[in-house]
Amino acid sequence: MKKPSYSSKRRLIFVFIIVMLFFVVLIGRLGFLQIVRGEELKKGALEQWTKGITIKSKRGIIYDRNGKKLALSISASTVWASPPDIKDPEKTAKEVARVLNLDEEFVYNKITKRVGTEKIKQWISNEEAQELRKLKLPGIEIVDDNKRFYPYGNFASHVLGFTNIDNDGLEGLENTYDDYLTGIPGRWIKTTDADSRQLPFDDEKIYEASDGVSIVTTIDETIQHFVEKAAEEALIVNKAKNVTIIAMEPHTGDILALTNKPDYDPNEPRLPLNEDLKKNWENLSQDELLEKWYEMWRNTAISDVYEPGSTFKVITAAAALEENIAKPDSHYYCDGFIRDIKGVVLRCSRWYNPHGSQTLLEGMNNSCNVVFVNLGRQVGKELMLKYTKAFGFGETTGIDLNGEQAGIVPASAENIREVNLATMSYGHGIAVTPIQLVNAVATIANGGNLMEPRLVKELIDEEGNLIKSFDPVVKRKVLSPSTSEAMLDMLEHVVRDGTGTKAYIPGMRVGGKTGTAQKIIEGKYAPGKYIASFVAVAPVDDPKIALLVIIDEPSAGQYYGGTIAAPVARNVLEETLNYLEVTPIFTEEEKEMMTEKVLVPDVRNMKIGEGGKVLTDIGLRYTTEYLDLTSESVILDQFPLPDTEVQKGSIVDLYLNIKEGETIIMPYLIGKDKSEVIEILNDLNLNYELKGEGKAKAQDPAPGETIDINRKIVVEFEGT
Amino acid sequence: MAKKKALQRKKAVDFTLLMSTLILVFVGIIMVFSASWPEAMQDFGNGYHFLKKQVIAASIGLGSLLICMNIDYKIWKKYSLLIFILSLILGALIFTPLGREIKGARRWIDLGITTFMPSDAIKIGSIIFFANFLANKKDKISSLVHGTLPALIIIGVACGAIYVQKDLGTTITLAATLMGMFFISGMNMLHLIFMAAGAVALGFLAITGPENEYRLKRIIAFRDPFAYKLDIGWQAVQSLYALGSGGLFGLGLGKSRQKFFYIPESYNDFIFSIIGEELGFLGTSFVIILFMVLIWRGIKIALSIEDAFGCFLASGITALVTIQSLIHIAVVTSSIPTTGITLPFVSYGGTSLMVYMSAIGILLNISRHANLDRS
Repeated sequence: MKKPSYSSKRRLIFVFIIVMLFFVVLIGRLGFLQIVRGEELKKGALEQWTKGITIKSKRGIIYDRNGKKLALSISASTVWASPPDIKDPEKTAKEVARVLNLDEEFVYNKITKRVGTEKIKQWISNEEAQELRKLKLPGIEIVDDNKRFYPYGNFASHVLGFTNIDNDGLEGLENTYDDYLTGIPGRWIKTTDADSRQLPFDDEKIYEASDGVSIVTTIDETIQHFVEKAAEEALIVNKAKNVTIIAMEPHTGDILALTNKPDYDPNEPRLPLNEDLKKNWENLSQDELLEKWYEMWRNTAISDVYEPGSTFKVITAAAALEENIAKPDSHYYCDGFIRDIKGVVLRCSRWYNPHGSQTLLEGMNNSCNVVFVNLGRQVGKELMLKYTKAFGFGETTGIDLNGEQAGIVPASAENIREVNLATMSYGHGIAVTPIQLVNAVATIANGGNLMEPRLVKELIDEEGNLIKSFDPVVKRKVLSPSTSEAMLDMLEHVVRDGTGTKAYIPGMRVGGKTGTAQKIIEGKYAPGKYIASFVAVAPVDDPKIALLVIIDEPSAGQYYGGTIAAPVARNVLEETLNYLEVTPIFTEEEKEMMTEKVLVPDVRNMKIGEGGKVLTDIGLRYTTEYLDLTSESVILDQFPLPDTEVQKGSIVDLYLNIKEGETIIMPYLIGKDKSEVIEILNDLNLNYELKGEGKAKAQDPAPGETIDINRKIVVEFEGT
Repeated sequence: MAKKKALQRKKAVDFTLLMSTLILVFVGIIMVFSASWPEAMQDFGNGYHFLKKQVIAASIGLGSLLICMNIDYKIWKKYSLLIFILSLILGALIFTPLGREIKGARRWIDLGITTFMPSDAIKIGSIIFFANFLANKKDKISSLVHGTLPALIIIGVACGAIYVQKDLGTTITLAATLMGMFFISGMNMLHLIFMAAGAVALGFLAITGPENEYRLKRIIAFRDPFAYKLDIGWQAVQSLYALGSGGLFGLGLGKSRQKFFYIPESYNDFIFSIIGEELGFLGTSFVIILFMVLIWRGIKIALSIEDAFGCFLASGITALVTIQSLIHIAVVTSSIPTTGITLPFVSYGGTSLMVYMSAIGILLNISRHANLDRS
C-alpha cells in the first residue's frame, strides 16, 4: 500500500486554505448583495412583481341651484380579461361573445393577447353583467365602473358639456371644473408572477380613490326648461339656423338658464339629435365628423360674435344719461336721414314717414336711428368707446366656460371715424357675444354694476357639506342707480308703447329692446340673412331676470326682432315670473286695453305711407324695421292678417316689396351743379362719391343704365 | 478470528461529514419542494411532483451511501478501469436512440421507468480511475512522459466525454476537479504553469468563434446584467433580485416570488437564489457553512488516510463537491458568468443526488480507515 507523500499533504492543506478563502469571499459577496444592496435589489424585484390597477374615483355630481341632479355618475360594469388565466380561449370567446353580443373572433383576439389584462367591453348592462357572472369563466372579470349620466338628455348641454370614456371632462362645466369633479383616483396593487398572474400571497394593497367634489350651478332647472322649450319652438317656427337664449340674475351675475338650439345629448355627444343628420353623418370621414362635432358642441352664446343692431341702443342711451348729456325727455328731430356724413346717407327705419320731433324716450320706443346717431354724436367717440368698453364689450366676461370670445370694438377713439360713431350708436359696426350683451343689460338692470357672469355657486361633498362657495364678483361700477332706474323706465316704455310690445305681459312690468341686424358673412352684408334679437328685464321695479333671445337666420318669412324674438322672450318671462312668484298688478289702462279690441284693416297693396296712416288712425301701431325702403314701396303682406281681432295698441308687422338687387334707371347728371346733383341723388337714396368742384363732367354709371340701388355713384366735377 | 479482527479494525465513520451531508440533503428536499411548486402546479397540476422524485432519489441515495460506506473503498481501485469505461459507455448512450432530450439539451438516457444523467456517472468514474492512476504513478507523477502526459490524456478523455454533450459547466467542473487531484498528487509545477497558459488559450477559443457566440454573450451580460435585463442578463438579474429581496432573514419558507417563473427552473441551477430569497443571508450562510464543514472533513480524511489511492480518491470526491458548489454559488451571486450548474445535494436531480450521496458513502468508508480525531 503506497502512502501519500508529504508534499501531497502540504498541497492538500494549501488547497484547503484557498477553498475556504473562496467560500469566505462568497459569504462576503452574499452579505453585500443581501444586506448592503438588499433594499435596492428588492425595489427592482418589487417593481416587477407588482402591477397597479387604477381604481377610478367617483365623479362629482352637477346640481342645479335647487339641488336637482343635472349630471351624475351611475355604476356600469366593464368586462376585463386576464389572458394568462384563461384556460379554454375558444369556449370563453364563444360564451363572452354570445352574452355581450360581440364578434367571436374579436373577443378571441382580445383574450389571447400576451398582456396581463385587456378590456373587452366598457359599460355593459346589468343583465349582461349578471349573466356573465353566472358563467364564472376563469380569467373574465366584471369590474364595477362609473358612467356619466345626464338625466335630462339634451338639456343645458352647452353648459354641462360631457365626458369621454375615461370620465375626463371634455366640454362645458365638465371641462372647466374637471379637477374638482374628478377627485383622486386610487390604486389596486397586486403581485403577479412572470406571466402576470396574481401570486397566492396576501400582499395586495388597495389605496382607496377619493371621490370628486360636486358642483352646485346657478342654473335653475325649471327656468332652463322654459328656455329650452321656447328656444326649440322658436327654432322650428322660424326655420332658423340657431336660437340662443340666456337668462341671468342681474344682481349676482348668476346664469339661470342658457341654451343654444340645435344642441346635442351629452349622453351621446357624437350623435346628432336629428334623425336625417344621423344618416348623413354615417358616410362622413373622420375629419368631416370632427368638424361637425365641434360645430355641434360650439356654445354660440359665448363663442360666436354678431352685430347687435338696435339692442345696442340701450348702451348709447345709458352712456348719455350717465354723462348727463341727455335726459329721457330731451328733444330730437327725425327727418328720416342723416345726410351730413360725406359719402353716406344713413336712414331711419321709417325714413319714408319720418318720426319728426321726438323725445329720447320716444326715440327709443320707435327705435329711431336718427335720434341715436344724434345722441351718439352728443356723447362723442371717446365716451362712446369708454362706455362700450365699460359695459364689457371687447373683453371676455370671465364666465366659467372655455371658448369665450372677446368680440370686436374699435381699438381706440382715433380709429372711430364719423360714420363709425354714427353706426355704432345703433349697434352696427361692432361685434359682441350674446353673453356680453345680456351681461350689459343686467348691468343696467342691477343699478349699474358689471358682474362677472357665473355658472357655479358652490362646491359640496357627497354629504352635501359646503367645501367652497363662490361669491358674486362685481367687475366694475358702470352706471349710477339713477341712470339705471331711468334706463329701466325707458325699456319698460319700449315694451308698453314701442317696438317691443310683443313682449308685453299684462300686469307685469317688463322692459326690453328689439334688434334686427342683417348678417355679415365674409365681411359683407348677406342678403336675406338676419339676426332677430330681443333683450328684456323683468320686473323693472325689482329686476329678477335679464333675458336675451337671439334668432339666427329665421327663414319662415318674418325676421324682425320685435316680431319673432319678443314673443319668445314674453313666453319665457311669463313662465319664469310666474315660477318666481311675482304677483301681477294690472293698471287701469291695462284693464281697459285688455277689453278694447279692434279689427285689423287690410293694408295690403297700399303704399307704405298710406297704409301706415290707416293703421295709426284706428289705434294700431306698425313696424317694418327695414332700412332700405323707397317711398314707393308697396305693402305685400301683413301680420296679423286682416279682420283679426286684436287689442288696441297692438303692432302690425308690414312686409314690403323690397327685393334684393332692386334697380333704378341712372339719371342724367352731366352739366349740373353740385347742389343739384346732391339733391337728385338724395331723392333716389343712392350712395355717392363726388370728386372735384364745378359742374358735373363725368358720371359712373352712365345715364340710362339700370343699376342696383346699393351701387355707389361716382360723379366728377370740373371748374368752368 | 479473521472476522473478529476485521470488526475490530472497522472503526466508526466520520459523523460530522455524515451529518452535514444529511442536513444538506434535507435542506435540498425542502427547498426543491418550495422552489418547484409553481412549475409543478402549472405543468403537472401536482405541486408535489418534484418533491416526490427528489425524496425517492434521496432514499435510494441514502441506501447507496450506506452500502458504499460499508464496502471497502479498495474495491474501487480494483475495478477502476472497468468503472471508467462503463461510465464512458453510458455517456456514449446519449447518442443512441436511448438518449433523451430535455429542454433542448441531450444529456439523459431513458431507462424506461426513469431517466439517468450519465455525466454524473462519468464524474465519479473518472475520479476513481484517475485516483488509481495517480496512486500507481505516485513516484513518477512529476515526470512529463510518465506523469503529466498520461494524466492529461485521462483528463482529456473524461472531459471530452462530457464536452460532447455541450455541457461546458460540467466539463469545467470535472476538469478542475481532476486537475486538483493531479496537483495534490504532486504534479510538476512547471507543467502547471504551461497548462495554465494552455487553459487560458482554450478558454479564449471557447468563448470566441462564431458557433460559440452564446458564451461571449454570457460574458457581456455578466459584466452588466442590468443593461441586458430583458434578454441575456435576465437570469443574473432575477437571481440578484431574489437574493436582495431575501435580505438578512428572508421572506420566509415558501414565500419566494421569484420562483413564480421569474427564475426558470429555479429548483435546478438557481436553487441557491431561492434559498437566499426565502431564508435570507442567514440561510445562505448556513448552507455555505455546511459545505465548508463537509469540505473540511473531506480534506481531513484525505490528510489522515495513509493510503495514496484513498487520499487521492478522498481528495477527488471532496474537490468535486467543492468545485461544483463554488461555481453554483458564484453564478448565483453573479460573481462569474452564468453557466448551468446544480448545487450538490441541494438542487433537484435524481442522478446527481444518488451519485453524490454514493460518493460521500465512499468518502465515509475511507474515513473508517483513517486516523481521525473524531469528536
